[in-house]
Amino acid sequence: MSIKSGYFKKQLHVDLTKGSAESRDLSDAFMEKYIGGRGFGAKLVWDNLKRHNFKIDPLAPENLLVIAPGPLTGAYLPSSGKNSFIAISPATGLYGDSSIGGSFGVELRQAGLDLLSITGRAQEMSVLFIDNGETTILTMPELKGRSCLEAEGMIKERLGTHAVHVAVIGVGGENMVKFACVNTDWGRNAGRTGIGAIMGSKNLKAIVVRGDKDLPVHDLNGLMAENDKACKYMKEHKYFKMWQQEGLMNVIEYANEKGILPAYNFKDSVFAKHDQINGATMLESYKIGDSACFSCPMCCSNICLVKHGKYTGTVVEGPEYESCAMLGSNLGIESFAAVLSANQLCDELGIDTISTGSVVAAIIEGYEKGILSLSDLDNREITWGDEDAILELMRKIAHREGIGDILAGGAYRIIERWPEMDKLVLHVKGLEQSAYDSRPSITMALAYATSDIGAHHARAWTIAREMEQGQSWSDEEKVDYVIYHQKLRPLFDMLGVCRLPWIELGLSELHYENFYKYVTGNEVTLEQLLELSNDIYDLTRIINTRLGASRKDDSLPYKVWANPPLTGPNAGRVIDREDFNRLLSLYYQKRGWNEDGIPPPEAGAKFED
Amino acid sequence: MSKKLAVIPEQCSGCSICELVCAIKHFGVNNPKKSAIRVLTTYPHPVMRMPIVCSQCKVAPCAQVCPVDALRRVDGVVQLIEKECISCYQCIEACPFGAIYAHEDCDLPIKCDMCGGDPECVKACPKGALKLIPEAALGESKRLNNALSYAQMKEIEFYEKGEKRIIHYAEIGKEEL
Repeated sequence: MSIKSGYFKKQLHVDLTKGSAESRDLSDAFMEKYIGGRGFGAKLVWDNLKRHNFKIDPLAPENLLVIAPGPLTGAYLPSSGKNSFIAISPATGLYGDSSIGGSFGVELRQAGLDLLSITGRAQEMSVLFIDNGETTILTMPELKGRSCLEAEGMIKERLGTHAVHVAVIGVGGENMVKFACVNTDWGRNAGRTGIGAIMGSKNLKAIVVRGDKDLPVHDLNGLMAENDKACKYMKEHKYFKMWQQEGLMNVIEYANEKGILPAYNFKDSVFAKHDQINGATMLESYKIGDSACFSCPMCCSNICLVKHGKYTGTVVEGPEYESCAMLGSNLGIESFAAVLSANQLCDELGIDTISTGSVVAAIIEGYEKGILSLSDLDNREITWGDEDAILELMRKIAHREGIGDILAGGAYRIIERWPEMDKLVLHVKGLEQSAYDSRPSITMALAYATSDIGAHHARAWTIAREMEQGQSWSDEEKVDYVIYHQKLRPLFDMLGVCRLPWIELGLSELHYENFYKYVTGNEVTLEQLLELSNDIYDLTRIINTRLGASRKDDSLPYKVWANPPLTGPNAGRVIDREDFNRLLSLYYQKRGWNEDGIPPPEAGAKFED
Repeated sequence: MSKKLAVIPEQCSGCSICELVCAIKHFGVNNPKKSAIRVLTTYPHPVMRMPIVCSQCKVAPCAQVCPVDALRRVDGVVQLIEKECISCYQCIEACPFGAIYAHEDCDLPIKCDMCGGDPECVKACPKGALKLIPEAALGESKRLNNALSYAQMKEIEFYEKGEKRIIHYAEIGKEEL
């Protein structure tokens, strides 16, 4: 068991306060144990927390931002373009991460880096330029207030080349909106947990990378043969063509049929006008092209253009399911063109489509219910499907104008301002819930409650399987299934690859044992890799509990307990508190955490080296 | 029969698999920046994904400017004679498509050799955006699409064995003026 290849063994550490950049060597033990991606990130964040005695304001200069691809990022295997951003989240105050596809991580690797860490705060708006490993910090105050795309264009002009990859924040990030995202490759956003706000707090408008180095691969022939096998399986899958054509937009129909599609701030879980915002509508009138992540045959991302009507000229990479549901049905928007316009606006402003859709929907319902007055809304009424008012509110969030300033503070700030909104804002640990309704699926509810970053489906997405065959599952089977997801899905993020070939096309996870072996030369089993991933889950839990989280935070949005969906196949269904608490206790027990969800004191010792 | 590598940009998803397999075949490395084909991506105005690859021109500007005659057309492929090339890179500048590439590690320009007639990129493209077609078929799809855009398309519904079918037909020149 040893690492023979797959890494450059290099970390670049940038201190924006000092204006310095330092190259550090990574040890074999570090690479073996933490693999990459969020594994690297969690370890660095943990060390940094210890240095600061566990007192870090997420938006203070000392919050360390980690950007980490994995050892498989950029390698010749299906969808190897993933890259993670990791930090203490301004939305939750706890461990946070968000991953992107596209090619940014590949370029970072080709610049000779396995890991980039950024601390401090630049005096003026700055751009970090990493050119094949050489680092420059450019001062570019002219980028202030620019949209993600405008800024990217100006940076490329200044550098005199288009052959770079840019991770950039918009006005939302500059204004430290708690759900600001980082935009790469035009339409790929590290959307969740407010990473964009951290860049904003550091006066870092963009990270620009160019690299052309060979990616180290231990056994290229072995990798090619394994890739051929995996691609052959994928291409022969009955849904492969559908994924190429519709991508994640096919989920709208599925979610509506199963009654898990958010509508009107999760008041309902079916949407009458679903056929106006679904994949078929997109294909018929809007889609103009495909967009794939690096080395991915599935190309699940779409490029859409509005050709008629008031939104003519809107062009978006996307939408995918989450964006379309949260900015469409969840806001009562019935026009796909309007969804595209909202998605484009979020991308330009640099704010997360999921959280934006969630907080705006909560505000509409809050006004409907009389919790918010017209003057709270700056005297601009807002109702379901009111496209102009909704788009205007999104702008105000990013610019922190009027009520937008409160929304920009995310779930916690909204509840602090209007305590009754606690019943309407769907969040866990301060992160707004993504677009799968957990009320008919207790494993999904458990997944949201125990996700280390808050109510997001990245760690475990168990809803489909439970709804198909989970009716007879025992408590133990339910908990085991959530934990298996929480081991495997984060492993993809650690390796730097996408999980969709596995979750959507059923590509065997055993391929990844071989991919890892061929790239790094390190002969370990999938089981061992899953254990390493599980260790990182312990580590993020240790981080969160040291920062004050416990069982009380592993809870669910009020609506999930109390307000069933009004119509559809799951009308009347909610999660029973007793059932949930029983599962949660069992979950802790299986993880070796105590009844309050705290790992044993000695568990931290594993990560001290 | 001479075959040509044709690019269908509207099919391209920008996945870069063509670049990877090209670099692996010619240099044995996992490095898309060492390929003779590259996907040029622009956004959002215009949104475009265009694989840029050598057209194997019959009157090849790269060969014309080569001061040492290291580029020669053999069997329909403009070949780089490696031992004669002096790496002045005039060919890169001369190519009107920018389809010859340079990389710091490489002593020679990176130029498509059609993999000896069976290009890896064509085999690997998951979208069918790259095709190897007989020279005589070049432009065929454009001719067809263009002709169809002129025609007045009409349709008739009819029933065949109880099933509804629709046949489309072109009524050329019958448009009312």
